[in-house]
Amino acid sequence: MTALLTVRGLRVDYGTGRGAHPAVRGVDFEVNAGEIVAVVGESGSGKSTIAHALMRLLPVEAHIRGGEIRFDGTDLRTASTAALRRVRGARIGFVPQDPSHSLNPLLRVGEQIAESLRRHQGLSRPDAAARAVEIIAEVGVPDAARRAGQYPHELSGGLRQRILIGIAWACEPDLVIADEPTSALDATVQRHVLDRMQALAAAHGTAVLLVTHDLAVAADRADRIVVVHHGEIVESGRAGDVLAAPQHEYTRRLVDAAPGLHSGRLRPSVGVASRTAVPDAAPLLDVRGLGKTYGTGDRAVAAVDGVGFAVPRGSTFSLVGESGSGKSTTARMVARIIEPDTGTVLLDGRDITGVRGGALRQLRRRIQVVYQNPFGSLDPRMTVARLIAEPLRAFGTGRAETQATVRDLLDQVRLAPELLTRRPAQLSGGQRQRVAIARALALRPELVVLDEPVSALDVSVQEQVLQLLVDLQAEHGLTYLFISHDLGVIRQISDRVAVMRGGRILEEGSMDEVFHSPAHDYTRELIGSIPGRHVAEPAASGAQVVRD
Amino acid sequence: MTILRRPGLLVAALVLAVVAVAVVAPQLIAPYDPFASVGSARLAPPSAEHLFGTDHLARDVFSRVVHGAQLSLSAAVLAVIAGLVIGSVVGLVTGYVGGPVDFVIMRFVDVLIAIPGILLALIVVASLGFGPLSIALGVGLGAAGSFARIMRAQVLRVRAEEYVEAARTLGVRGPVVLARHVLPNAARPIIAMAAMELALAILSVSALSFLGFGAQPPAPEWGALVSAGRDFVATAPWLSLLPGAVILAVVLAVNSVARSIRGDR
Amino acid sequence: MVSPEQRAASAPTGERARTIARFLIPKILQCLFVIWATYTVAFLLMHALPGDPVLAALSLRGGDATSTDPAELDALRARYGLDGPLWQQYLTGFFGLFVGDFGTSIATGEPVIAMVGRAFPHTAAVAVFALVVGFVCALAFTVWAYIARPAWMRDVVTQIPPLGIAIPAFLTGLVLISVFSFGLGWFPASGTSGFASIVLPGITLALPTGAIFFQVFSAAVFDAGASPFVLTANAKGLAQRTVVTRHVLRNALLPSITIIGLQIGYLAGGTAVVETVFSRDGIGRLTVDAVLARDINVVMGVVVVVASVYAVVTLIVDGLYGVIDPRTRTRLLRGKVSAR
Repeated sequence: MTALLTVRGLRVDYGTGRGAHPAVRGVDFEVNAGEIVAVVGESGSGKSTIAHALMRLLPVEAHIRGGEIRFDGTDLRTASTAALRRVRGARIGFVPQDPSHSLNPLLRVGEQIAESLRRHQGLSRPDAAARAVEIIAEVGVPDAARRAGQYPHELSGGLRQRILIGIAWACEPDLVIADEPTSALDATVQRHVLDRMQALAAAHGTAVLLVTHDLAVAADRADRIVVVHHGEIVESGRAGDVLAAPQHEYTRRLVDAAPGLHSGRLRPSVGVASRTAVPDAAPLLDVRGLGKTYGTGDRAVAAVDGVGFAVPRGSTFSLVGESGSGKSTTARMVARIIEPDTGTVLLDGRDITGVRGGALRQLRRRIQVVYQNPFGSLDPRMTVARLIAEPLRAFGTGRAETQATVRDLLDQVRLAPELLTRRPAQLSGGQRQRVAIARALALRPELVVLDEPVSALDVSVQEQVLQLLVDLQAEHGLTYLFISHDLGVIRQISDRVAVMRGGRILEEGSMDEVFHSPAHDYTRELIGSIPGRHVAEPAASGAQVVRD
Repeated sequence: MTILRRPGLLVAALVLAVVAVAVVAPQLIAPYDPFASVGSARLAPPSAEHLFGTDHLARDVFSRVVHGAQLSLSAAVLAVIAGLVIGSVVGLVTGYVGGPVDFVIMRFVDVLIAIPGILLALIVVASLGFGPLSIALGVGLGAAGSFARIMRAQVLRVRAEEYVEAARTLGVRGPVVLARHVLPNAARPIIAMAAMELALAILSVSALSFLGFGAQPPAPEWGALVSAGRDFVATAPWLSLLPGAVILAVVLAVNSVARSIRGDR
Repeated sequence: MVSPEQRAASAPTGERARTIARFLIPKILQCLFVIWATYTVAFLLMHALPGDPVLAALSLRGGDATSTDPAELDALRARYGLDGPLWQQYLTGFFGLFVGDFGTSIATGEPVIAMVGRAFPHTAAVAVFALVVGFVCALAFTVWAYIARPAWMRDVVTQIPPLGIAIPAFLTGLVLISVFSFGLGWFPASGTSGFASIVLPGITLALPTGAIFFQVFSAAVFDAGASPFVLTANAKGLAQRTVVTRHVLRNALLPSITIIGLQIGYLAGGTAVVETVFSRDGIGRLTVDAVLARDINVVMGVVVVVASVYAVVTLIVDGLYGVIDPRTRTRLLRGKVSAR
């Protein structure tokens, strides 16, 4: 039985001539009818390029340099544009990554599905419109008839992604290519959307090529896994095999680093001197009744409502929640970047809620912040040396002492001294984040607020940075307030955790308590949404890996 | 240098080099005295002896054009500098301060942009009197509006960047943040725009002198030259068209350089 | 559960009217503000700069024979509304605008509004012609540049329209006159009689107008073309024509129409030159003559009229855009309720 899609020797370059950069360097793989194949790789691996190249949807600067893309007998690489437009949508569907911009904002969503039906199945306008409503219902959008008449901006991210899935499946294609279809969604929504996709694939017998950076997601959903690294396929095989016994060193690294596939908190590395914890009676950070409301009158929205918690010195307290839960706003109020409307923040017993001006500036020496976006938080025009030195200079440290401190800090975050003269654009994401951490430590703060510090990093780098944070905490006795939407990451670094939703804390407790005996349904759902749970802890979930 | 690979840019640079010489040392290029008549050949067509022909007073047009470079271009440069400085300061302050101050100032800037540049310049000329200085001030005021708007947009963009907030949490004082983070990151697009505005200023200045508001004859300002040649368009079109073509060439050259600063292909 | 439509339908019409008003009123206020601010800025510029306008205007008219008898000058000042403290002139002038009293021309003695009223239609004819021709040509070039293959052709096509701004308007005008009037005799070189007289000046102004339209269109089309929803449209296998018209152009052109307001300003400035070159009556010529004669009342009047036209056009365009864009429309028609 020949495969539905056969790719041989595919090569794609970005740019031309001497500036050409090879993104895909000769990949071979197959997709059989009705099976789900996951293409796993980190950013820059070329996985998205492969997905786009299959339908020749690459951007202008990319060129397919060689190879064969056999789909049901035709070589898509050499097919005419007219032939390609007959295949696209009709026989191969595509689910793009970003639901917020992938739908035409000026057309109703039902029409965007109907358009495809009219084009490929020759349906009349009323027939296509009716069928579109059926499809919208099939992808799990409630109140389908009404939704069909709405515009994209009237739907949430999860609903928009379902519409995009509906568009891909509308003409009953043989193959659907999904490019990171859930990366931009909250964890709980992700799980439901992927469930729906799997159900559709099973119901229609569609083959799926699922591109993802998350090995755990691939483990959950795919029949076979293909691992891509630097434009080449380093490993491929059945999902269970690849995870249980990875052959290639890179795959092993990915498996080790996947947060969803592991349990337990990271411990300080061997050899890291740890300050003996002085048991402190009073917590370093004490938050009571914190609240923040945006907007006025009946348009007011309480971003944070009555939030309170205490963080003992030297420990890590995490706030976990999805987008809109208020965790970031809370963190920013603790760091005194924004003003709380109600409540108090006590640092080491002292009320810092109303501190302003010069006193606020002095407070900065005790509380520091590490931001999510490693590129955005570093001034692109400054060198690493200047970036780290900035807080020291701001408080009047002498030049010689500053230089010495900067070198020392760079060493502490395990970066080579050559990087001192580089600019952020010349560093990788992980390196940039280490610079941000070094900068935050410059003033020897007691409390560090970390707002999603590893969310923008690749999985393999995430673990290294988390380990660094754990080591630094042991060395310097730091206290962390850690914000994340990723429960898997939180599990690796926290002592205590609070689950937030809608501006309120739903439950709070030690990591073990919350994880193994969650009190709230929502917490249970969050835990259940961590991809890879079934594979990692079949005993805990009480069942073998089961495919629908 | 890669400049050799882009013929358009190379030509533009050459044109500007010639113009620069004309501004600084016109006598090196111009063969004749721009104010004196050279013999009795009036309205002579372009020839080897008189590259651009002669005008109705038997003056060599080419020499007049070369000497006019200084008048036309200095007014334009002055206008852009005035606009850049005034507009940037206004945009920087109002963008960083924000709030009601920003709102009120920006509405006035909107008005400055709404009044067409030429009309604004005409108002200034009507009050101050004719001459290249009035023109420069008028055109500059119009340009200041555009600069203010762009500077403010840049400031708003940069201000929202995380590294500015990060600088505050690191303990850096407000004005220092403004000078060290906001201004350098906002400046690059402004410089590119200044070059484009220069091209527009050259056009505005020559249009105004064409209408008669610039330096008075016999000053060989380019726009005035075109205007003087109007009466002879039927019989001696080169009198108007050639100085006009020179203006066009200079504007294209400045545009080309401006686009390359901005980073277009 | 009650859907937003049901809620909106059953909402009292007062509620709907209030949200629409909340949308329109700031825009109307903005329009009025522009007119007021223009008047103020022009007034300040005219009076803050040194020189006595009456004396200047009169001396231009009468030369050395102008009398400088203070009593006579005062009488003249009163006649032209230039007497009394500045704030009084300012206020009378401003309120006069609303009743159509723009003062009296120092040069001709006519009421300014009459002069402007006479000149306006000629200018408007050329301006509309230039707008339409410029818009259509810019659109054509934009579409051509978007679908052109190979890449070098696209580069060439994109370089052509910006020339429209680089060419000085007076040069274009003179070239067109040389070729089409004196050379071929197809169109008249001057005057305001009939449609034929609009063509050459109109084309002259259409060049920079079209160039500006093109820059905005092509930037918007380029952005839209690179956006994710166009990728989706292509991935659906739609015909290229459908992708271009329904997805790219529609999303690109919508925000571009707001530039029409700015074009008005540009045209108003350009007419000064064009009307001089073609010896046409119009606002531009009126202004130029007024400046030459130091006739500040006429200059003020023209400036205010131009600003008003700009403000009103901007108001209409912004309002229209708000209605056409479904994102704003939802907010308006369904009140404050945002559907989820």
